[in-house]
Amino acid sequence: MTVIECRGLTKDYGRNRALNGLTIKIEENKITGLIGRNGAGKTTLLKIIAGHIKETAGEIKVFSERPFNNLTVSANVIFIHDQMNLPTALNLMEILEAASSFYENWDQALANRLFDYFSFNPLQQYNGLSKGMKSTFHTILGLSARCPLTLLDEPTTGMDAAVRKDFYRALLKDYLAYPRSIIISSHHLNEIEDLLEDILLMKDGKEHLHLPAADFKEWAIGIQGKTGLVHEWTKEREILHTKSMGPDQSYVVVRNDLLEHELQKARATGIDFSPVTPSDLCVYLTSKSKGGIDDVFNKD
Amino acid sequence: MNLNLDGSKPIYLQVSEWLEREILNGNFGSDQKIYSQYQLAEIFNINPATAAKGLNILADENILYKKRGLGMFVAGTAKEMILNKRKNQTLKRLVQEIVLEAERLNVSKAELIDMIKAANIGEVEE
Amino acid sequence: MSLTKISLLSTVKKQYRYKLKAYVQVFMTLVFLQLLAILFTLNGVGMAGSSSEWVEVDVHYYSADIVVFFTMMWGFITAILITTKAYRNDDFVFITNRLSSNLSNLLFLLTASIIGGLTALLSTYLIKVIVYFFVGQLTIDSTNVVSAPVELLLGIVAATFYIILFSALGYFVGTLVQIHKAFVVLVPALFFGSLFLGAVSGYEKTVTNILGFIFTEPSILLFIFKIIVVAGMLFSGAFVISNRLEVKQ
Repeated sequence: MTVIECRGLTKDYGRNRALNGLTIKIEENKITGLIGRNGAGKTTLLKIIAGHIKETAGEIKVFSERPFNNLTVSANVIFIHDQMNLPTALNLMEILEAASSFYENWDQALANRLFDYFSFNPLQQYNGLSKGMKSTFHTILGLSARCPLTLLDEPTTGMDAAVRKDFYRALLKDYLAYPRSIIISSHHLNEIEDLLEDILLMKDGKEHLHLPAADFKEWAIGIQGKTGLVHEWTKEREILHTKSMGPDQSYVVVRNDLLEHELQKARATGIDFSPVTPSDLCVYLTSKSKGGIDDVFNKD
Repeated sequence: MNLNLDGSKPIYLQVSEWLEREILNGNFGSDQKIYSQYQLAEIFNINPATAAKGLNILADENILYKKRGLGMFVAGTAKEMILNKRKNQTLKRLVQEIVLEAERLNVSKAELIDMIKAANIGEVEE
Repeated sequence: MSLTKISLLSTVKKQYRYKLKAYVQVFMTLVFLQLLAILFTLNGVGMAGSSSEWVEVDVHYYSADIVVFFTMMWGFITAILITTKAYRNDDFVFITNRLSSNLSNLLFLLTASIIGGLTALLSTYLIKVIVYFFVGQLTIDSTNVVSAPVELLLGIVAATFYIILFSALGYFVGTLVQIHKAFVVLVPALFFGSLFLGAVSGYEKTVTNILGFIFTEPSILLFIFKIIVVAGMLFSGAFVISNRLEVKQ
């Protein structure tokens, strides 16, 4: 079943175009990583899916319904982000109780166990929490609600490394026990890539690449060796990234469509091939210039 | 249990290689049920789809066989197939790399063979 | 995971219960404002005095008028408050759509108005007790539950409906402001402008007539009816405009 379907989805904020004809399809019960630079439109997309804001043009269907002002969509989607507006009059326990009154699948036992594990004080006020603790509390809401569609927008903002690790593990374990559709946006792709089934890379308000995470790892290949030789190998291909490594050495990233015998031939001439990590690939694919920041300093 | 998750190899390959090792070590006998994709996901902290891909590689090579609704089981000839595969593919590739590196370093053939013999006697290999 | 179906009614109920808890500060403000109003009242809302060579008579009138007025203002401000971003976005943390959010706000404001009206009128007793003990002298009780139960009840009903009217007005104005910040200036300008222009151009009759239409209605039933109509119009207006409103951070 398809959970989310967008066709030509466009969103303008005044004169600023945040989404520009996005067309995607997200299948049920997958963990999808939403990756992109700041301003690529990730949060805007999630807000539209959650029904918080309205699309300017194009079409979006969540559970086959238009999400804006839709009670069914709202009841089946939980949207976790770092600007959540939780009531200041309630303490943490009361907020959990409020959440449990709303969500049908809410697991209070899980909420309590996570609450204790991360050593929250039930009588604490939400506003008194540090940034990282707020994020942790949000993720407790997000996991315990067990919504068929869980949207996590930068859920680990401010968390320390240990808590992030715990959260990823908790997310995976709860997903294994209760499979559901999860979209998680993050700047730490290297931390979450193993959890993901699919990766959706966004650039300039559009989908740039939507692939299984496993294919993402092999999508590109790094070629390193003598500049002349490397150029020989890459002249027919689209260059994703290039970097000069000393006087006569180059490192170039291209699509990984080389055949095994080509690889062997190239290796014999002294060219090194190396895999490109997904997070590096995302940086290359979304950067404005082929050389990255080095280009700024290479102006003669 | 940890895979070399930031390593160069795709995770599903690492999973299938780990399963092969488990079979070679005798932790799974023939016709024994092997881990499900969910158990593997839990063990390695990875997405179950990735784990399934690792299992499917072995199923495609007939090292594992599927029983509908029951899961995957170790084939009777699994051990031999794994050994054969490793000899024909992994070892061959490693030897090629060694030869190439030896050429780069101007190590002669005889010298290289001596080195291999020495390594064998010293039981340096695992 | 199977989809949850949920009805508007049950969502509104959940939201209403949640708001009674989450917006509890609103009632703290009410207590504070009414106490303040009682303090003002103790000066007497009206005074008459006469003296002769031998006798000096001072008559102080005490009533809950100031308390009711303060409570009306409270209703107005509370209504504006819950249309603000911080409060409206509270709803969007959990399950909601704009209609359910508005309906639960309406229920909350009605509840608040009833509580406000009730406490405002009952404060007369507090005033009486305070006057009796601290101001002393002779108090002549005009109304109490035993001698005039209907008057008290009517007082509560009338006060409640006044507060409802003001909160409806507040809700409408607050929603306008959410649509565009310019209304922060426009609404007061329009209000005072119309009073001023009315006075200048000789149309003050129209302005006072509009106000008189509600505030000088002698029949309690007609008065209630008029308020229900006007408040209903204001609330529905607010519902319609806010139905397109996006969640902004």
